[in-house]
Amino acid sequence: MSGRFTSGGAEAAFEAMRRELEEALRLSGPLTFMEVCGTHTVSIFRSGLRSLLPRGLSLLSGPGCPVCVTDRSEIDRAIELAEKGCLVLTYGDMMRVPGTSGSLLEARGRGADVEVATSAIQALPAARENPDRDVVFLAVGFETTAPATAAMLRQVRSGGIRNLSVLCLHKTVPPVMRVLCSVPGLKVDGFLLPGNVTVVAGEGGYAFLAEAGKAAAVAGFEPEEIMAALVDLVRQAAAGSYRIRAYRTRDVPREGNTTALRLMAEVFEPCDALWRGLGLIPGSGLRLGKDYARFDALGKFGLKSGAGPAEARDDGCQCGKILSGLLTPPECGLYGRACTPLNPAGPCMVSSEGTCGAWYRFNRQEAERWQ
Amino acid sequence: MSGALSLGHGSGGRLTQQLTQRILSRFGEARFPSASRRPDFQADFQMEDCAFIDAGCGACGSEDDGGGKTAVSIDGFTVFPHDFPGGDIGKLAVCGSANDLAVRGAEPLFLALSLIIEEGLDVAVLDRYMDSAAQAAGEGRVALAAGDTKVVPRGAADKLFITTCAIGRRVSPHVLRTSNLRDGDALILSTAPGRHGAALAAARFGLDAPGLTSDCALLWPALSPLLRFSGLRCMRDCTRGGLGTVLCEWAEASPLGIEVYETSVPADTETAAVCDILGFDPLYLASEGCALAAVAPEQAEECLVALRESPLCRDAAVIGRMISEHPRMVGMRTRIGGMRFVDMPAGELLPRIC
Repeated sequence: MSGRFTSGGAEAAFEAMRRELEEALRLSGPLTFMEVCGTHTVSIFRSGLRSLLPRGLSLLSGPGCPVCVTDRSEIDRAIELAEKGCLVLTYGDMMRVPGTSGSLLEARGRGADVEVATSAIQALPAARENPDRDVVFLAVGFETTAPATAAMLRQVRSGGIRNLSVLCLHKTVPPVMRVLCSVPGLKVDGFLLPGNVTVVAGEGGYAFLAEAGKAAAVAGFEPEEIMAALVDLVRQAAAGSYRIRAYRTRDVPREGNTTALRLMAEVFEPCDALWRGLGLIPGSGLRLGKDYARFDALGKFGLKSGAGPAEARDDGCQCGKILSGLLTPPECGLYGRACTPLNPAGPCMVSSEGTCGAWYRFNRQEAERWQ
Repeated sequence: MSGALSLGHGSGGRLTQQLTQRILSRFGEARFPSASRRPDFQADFQMEDCAFIDAGCGACGSEDDGGGKTAVSIDGFTVFPHDFPGGDIGKLAVCGSANDLAVRGAEPLFLALSLIIEEGLDVAVLDRYMDSAAQAAGEGRVALAAGDTKVVPRGAADKLFITTCAIGRRVSPHVLRTSNLRDGDALILSTAPGRHGAALAAARFGLDAPGLTSDCALLWPALSPLLRFSGLRCMRDCTRGGLGTVLCEWAEASPLGIEVYETSVPADTETAAVCDILGFDPLYLASEGCALAAVAPEQAEECLVALRESPLCRDAAVIGRMISEHPRMVGMRTRIGGMRFVDMPAGELLPRIC
């Protein structure tokens, strides 16, 4: 009966790529790459690619999950706004992230008005339908979601909408990559860059990787695209010559999406931002520029502005080290015991794209806990 | 488990399991005293979609076959939105309870219906939902036997909550239950999973998916031809928690593992598109007209042919099998030839960021 289940073409084609990768690794020796983006992490697990990686190639997950890098203090602020009576809209993943005292989901359970949105644009009808209430959009994400927030804010401004503001937690990817290149103890030979961020931001922002002697390749989220990029990364490392190439079924313009970039430049300005576990990274955040400052929920509701102090709380949560590739999930003392998807201690377990969540859901060794 | 209940407790995965066990533990000997000594019945109560009882002798089944001939199930419906492409809460309430009987080889015959109505509901809207409930009942030849209505103050309910209890007669010669699963059994899925959940998610999050309709339908006509197969072990409809949850529950309830073949699982393009956007996995989205059946391998091919006779099940396929490796776990052989595990969803499904 087993013969009926072979998937034929895809499996054979993938096996050929796997052999190519093995061949390239024989020349380069053992290598470690980091996939920066959470969507890559999930794809690598879900597609079963991880189970097919040849010996000598290690993949670490990086800080590219917007939920995971959200600091506790930022969740606290959103909860504060919801409990002040604002209608808070945010992306679904943010609902379960624990702040210092509970999550937005728990705040909703206590009666606060928190709604899930799939796009920033949904804040506009929410504001229209609730003219007597203050609506706050909790804006999270990298270059992929920031343009949507910018487009929404432009409509807020031109439409004279007064009851909608934004708690802006947007971050950008290149500055954190620069930090990762110099994290002591982190041995990474190259980076797998996310196709969707690069489509918007362009490849220019990653030129420093080659200078730092790191291989880099852009890939879409299909396992074939990821595999092709891995082969390229190994070859770059073996040859010691670095040039970013893209492995996507859709073309990535090298300069990025200029419309989105212009929109972002109009609405946002760079600021220092606090990354969970990584601390304050200069120039890695986006805040509302002067023409849009009045839509900033921080100012509007008199909340403490700017990044708070780095977390002093010590509860054993190692999300910071996980996010910077210094630890893998099973090396964290809480993982699978005090920290599970049902009772997450840190954001890496909460998010559907978080490293710990992906390990927990898809990894063979971990699934064996049910035995 | 402590503090306030969350929506996750209602989503059919691990949290729901904990909640159900918590409630059951309070009944102890008080639930069906005459049957509580029967280990089969205990297991069925936890695992199966409906119970077999014998009201005549006040017990839960005769000793010889491990179950009475009368089948009973109950289900509450609080779907949002009330109207969705392919159905509404009225149709869903009838199909949902009736299907719980069908998957245990019982023909649904009677329905008890309870309505909790929020003050202010337009009577024309109620008429419409009751018309579609009546239409579904008529199609399935299920007679309304008992009913109740309550109207609660505005805000105390969301327009309309419906609870239905289906009562029927066991037709299958042997009792279908999870404990029948054997090494090598083929797992047959009746149609592409997740269409109901995807249609609701699309409506909830304002996505335009013109071709996507809920699979909400009565399963009895499609499943009853399978009952003549002696190798039919058990069936489940993949409602709350989806196919993934059913697979995990079957694996955890048996000493066996499950192997699923990704490329054999029927897929619906529109469902896949909605899942792509929202970051959902069709494996965990609810279906309301999709069943998983386990059957002895030598009868799998014939079963498949019988199932495909139904227009609902044209895409039916063998998607995996029970195996002795990795006991109590569900593994998936992926399209590219890799392997990964399938876990139960942890709580409320929430759309991801990017």
